[in-house]
Amino acid sequence: MVNSSSKLKDRAVKGAINNLRKDKRVEAISLSLIANELDVSLETLKNYYSSTEDIFLKAQKKDWSSLHRYWDKRIEKAKTPGDYKDAFELFFERFVETLSEDADLMLEMSCYLPSCIKYRERNKKRVKKKFLSLIKKGWPGKDDKVLKRQTELITIVFYGFIDHVVHIKKSERLKLLRDFRNMVNLQLQDRKFF
Amino acid sequence: MDKKTQSKVKIIEKTFEAIKRYDKGLANTSLLRVAEELCMPYEELTSFFLTIEDIYLNEQERNNRKVEKYLESELSEVKTANDAKSLFENTIRLFVMDLPDYADVVWAATPFLPKCLEERNRMKVYLKKTFKKIIKKGWPGKIETVLERQTDLCILSFYGLYEYCSKSKKKDREAILKDFINMLNLHLQDRLFF
Repeated sequence: MVNSSSKLKDRAVKGAINNLRKDKRVEAISLSLIANELDVSLETLKNYYSSTEDIFLKAQKKDWSSLHRYWDKRIEKAKTPGDYKDAFELFFERFVETLSEDADLMLEMSCYLPSCIKYRERNKKRVKKKFLSLIKKGWPGKDDKVLKRQTELITIVFYGFIDHVVHIKKSERLKLLRDFRNMVNLQLQDRKFF
Repeated sequence: MDKKTQSKVKIIEKTFEAIKRYDKGLANTSLLRVAEELCMPYEELTSFFLTIEDIYLNEQERNNRKVEKYLESELSEVKTANDAKSLFENTIRLFVMDLPDYADVVWAATPFLPKCLEERNRMKVYLKKTFKKIIKKGWPGKIETVLERQTDLCILSFYGLYEYCSKSKKKDREAILKDFINMLNLHLQDRLFF
């Protein structure tokens, strides 16, 4: 039962994405259209989703929850500055590795649909908080002001990185990631920060 | 400002104000509602814009044109590496400092609306080409592949900054801008780049 409901949810996300890819108009994609294409009743689909927007919101939450779980495990195990640096870097690696083929559309929806925007902003704060904690422990000795400013910058460039990386081919993503991590490292090694 | 331009500005401001107020996104704002709120005949409004999307595109193009015009006139004046560095810095400043209060709404819709997405991609290509020229002059001695990779990182960082600034108050933009430019300087000073 769990398996079949999970499969249906995945198919619903895929269905919404396929329609979006064809039409590019989220407003034109209704739950009944998706139910019809999946050959299930609207009532069945409504057991899981209240609207098309809800499909995207739940997909967005699922991806980020999985990423946070992975990240938290690494953070919990960390003891030395080196471990915290690794946890910081592994987050970026995991993020890129787990990006789907449809990451571009998922990003667009997360910036466009009101409930997805709200979740994105909340999640950004959560990511920023973890960055701050990891930078503090991984690159110790920075005063509070520097720590906050550097964390803000890293969060800004990370969100720019997301926007860029979802629009390039999978094979190029890892190359870009390497350069991005080096840039971030260079920035964080600057203890006194200008 | 002539009467025609005044009307156009009023329409733009009212549209984005309505979108922000209702918090329902683009789909739930209509030109008819904007015309009602402005007490303007619908026909008069449609003589300026045929759809809400046209208003978004107009706003996006207006901001892009300003930066392009600036770059085109200043690039030919660049003589020394310091001139190029100043141009780089001033362009970033020009792009983000004058963003209007509704820049967040425009930012959110541009990756989603077809015409706006096209304009966004065009601008990104233009900026990449122009930033590459400026970086080559401002930080000379880089080999071609390094120049290409560093420009990519600057562009993605820049779009991260654009997102941040579109959602922040002017005084916060000023503070982050200084740190952001210092960060890119540090990155670009790395001649051999890993």
